[in-house]
Amino acid sequence: MDRTTPQPLTTDTAGEPSTELPSAGRRDFLRFAGAAGFGALIGTAIPFQRNMPPGYVPVALAQDGLEGKDGLIVLNDRPMNAELPPHLLDDPITPTDRLFIRNNGILPDDMSAEGWTLTVDGLVDTPLELSIDDLRSGFEVVSMALTLECGGNGRAFFDPPASGNQWTYGAVGCPMWTGVRLRDVLERAGVKPEAIYTAHVGADMHLSGDPDKLPISRGVPIDKAMTDNVLVAFGMNDGPLHPMNGAPLRLVVPGWPGSCSQKWLTRIWLRDVVHDGPKMTGTSYRVPNRPVAPGEEVDTADFVIIERMPVKSLITSPETGAAVGETVEVRGHAWSGDRTISRVDLSYDFGATWVEAELDAPVNEGAWQNWRHTVTLPQAGYYEVWAKATDSEGVAQPFGIDWNPKGYLNNSLHRVALTVS
Amino acid sequence: MKRASVVIAALVVLANPAFAQDDEGPYGVLVDAPGVEETYVNCAGCHSEMLVAQQGLTRERWDKLLDWMVEEQGMWEIEEPERTVVLDYLATHYNTDRPNFPRR
Repeated sequence: MDRTTPQPLTTDTAGEPSTELPSAGRRDFLRFAGAAGFGALIGTAIPFQRNMPPGYVPVALAQDGLEGKDGLIVLNDRPMNAELPPHLLDDPITPTDRLFIRNNGILPDDMSAEGWTLTVDGLVDTPLELSIDDLRSGFEVVSMALTLECGGNGRAFFDPPASGNQWTYGAVGCPMWTGVRLRDVLERAGVKPEAIYTAHVGADMHLSGDPDKLPISRGVPIDKAMTDNVLVAFGMNDGPLHPMNGAPLRLVVPGWPGSCSQKWLTRIWLRDVVHDGPKMTGTSYRVPNRPVAPGEEVDTADFVIIERMPVKSLITSPETGAAVGETVEVRGHAWSGDRTISRVDLSYDFGATWVEAELDAPVNEGAWQNWRHTVTLPQAGYYEVWAKATDSEGVAQPFGIDWNPKGYLNNSLHRVALTVS
Repeated sequence: MKRASVVIAALVVLANPAFAQDDEGPYGVLVDAPGVEETYVNCAGCHSEMLVAQQGLTRERWDKLLDWMVEEQGMWEIEEPERTVVLDYLATHYNTDRPNFPRR
């Protein structure tokens, strides 16, 4: 894709995938693949091919993309989707190697900052074409710790199951992001009064290989886009963005489903309608407009777009299943989209009694809050520690899952098992 | 086109029985049973079979999901009788009881 030219937003949903191999050919190719040689793929003969051990993938073809990541559990390797077990999310600020990966499409070939262009167009007074250097030099550069959580985090616990990647706990993180405020960029372009919604476009490619289809293009109401902690980010944790997290440029919309934070960002388009790009419509990132029974069929017309993510907490130490002494520090994080956390309570007797944990203020608006409490367990045996966060609107985490057909917004209590011997 | 060639290279690596991991058969993490080949070749062209194996759906929802893949996601039409073979496989081995949910 030519990134220097604004691309029309394609929401075409019909038609055959267009790739170098037509679909039937691709299918036959998969059937035939067992007999294909690596030499043909690499483009030259492999003189010592007979020496390659079984299962060996030539490094020229190895492309798992997890370099610079640590401890991730891969849910899906194509596209790469991977999360962290809770105990590896213990850092107050999430290191780059421990931020989850949630991809919808095929990564761009070229993720170098040089030559990258962000287009700002649509309902603006002056459309902009900005390089990353333009962003760095033309706007105030800020660093903020901002919480990103996948809208489907916790989906694995839905019963009946909901389709999609079966995230458990670890599709959340709070790295320190560096970039410029989206508000500043939009104000430079001049937001026309009729603009009500943003539309975000990235450089990743649809899984079908069709260059006319976007894998995902979501947006947010203009009021959200104009808040102080929505960033156009080009760095994380004093380094570059990880390729799997959107290098070299991405949005960070804290406290809203991660899909609002477009990766490999190339275009922000202001519209006078609610954006209708791929994964904005139908049931994607939407929940029913009313409570529903588990397994209930819900008319697509009754789904509403998810905005802020609900109050939630995670116990990051000890690791579940740990053998501990009678006295143990329990700690973790808590967050609530567009709100702060007012208290975190812990129980080690299955919810009969609760004790309030020490809770830090967020390091900035949009960051999760760290908490800790030293628990004294009365005798040897099996315990569960439960954490329950309550936010600034007085809303607390539920014990059970508020079931919805697509498996979003599971903010039920996190529980870890501990054994005292 | 470089990207397409890398994708196809990845498909070959994933589809080649000799290059599967030790604990996986030629169809990756999919349970080896009648219909697995048809399911693999129709699904794993665009995404990993790991995405399939995570799901636990009723036959009716698998049926709708296959339609959605064609209508929205650019999948080819699976002709009968192959479509029924795929649907039978998915509804049998990846149903709401999750008999083959991947171990973590």
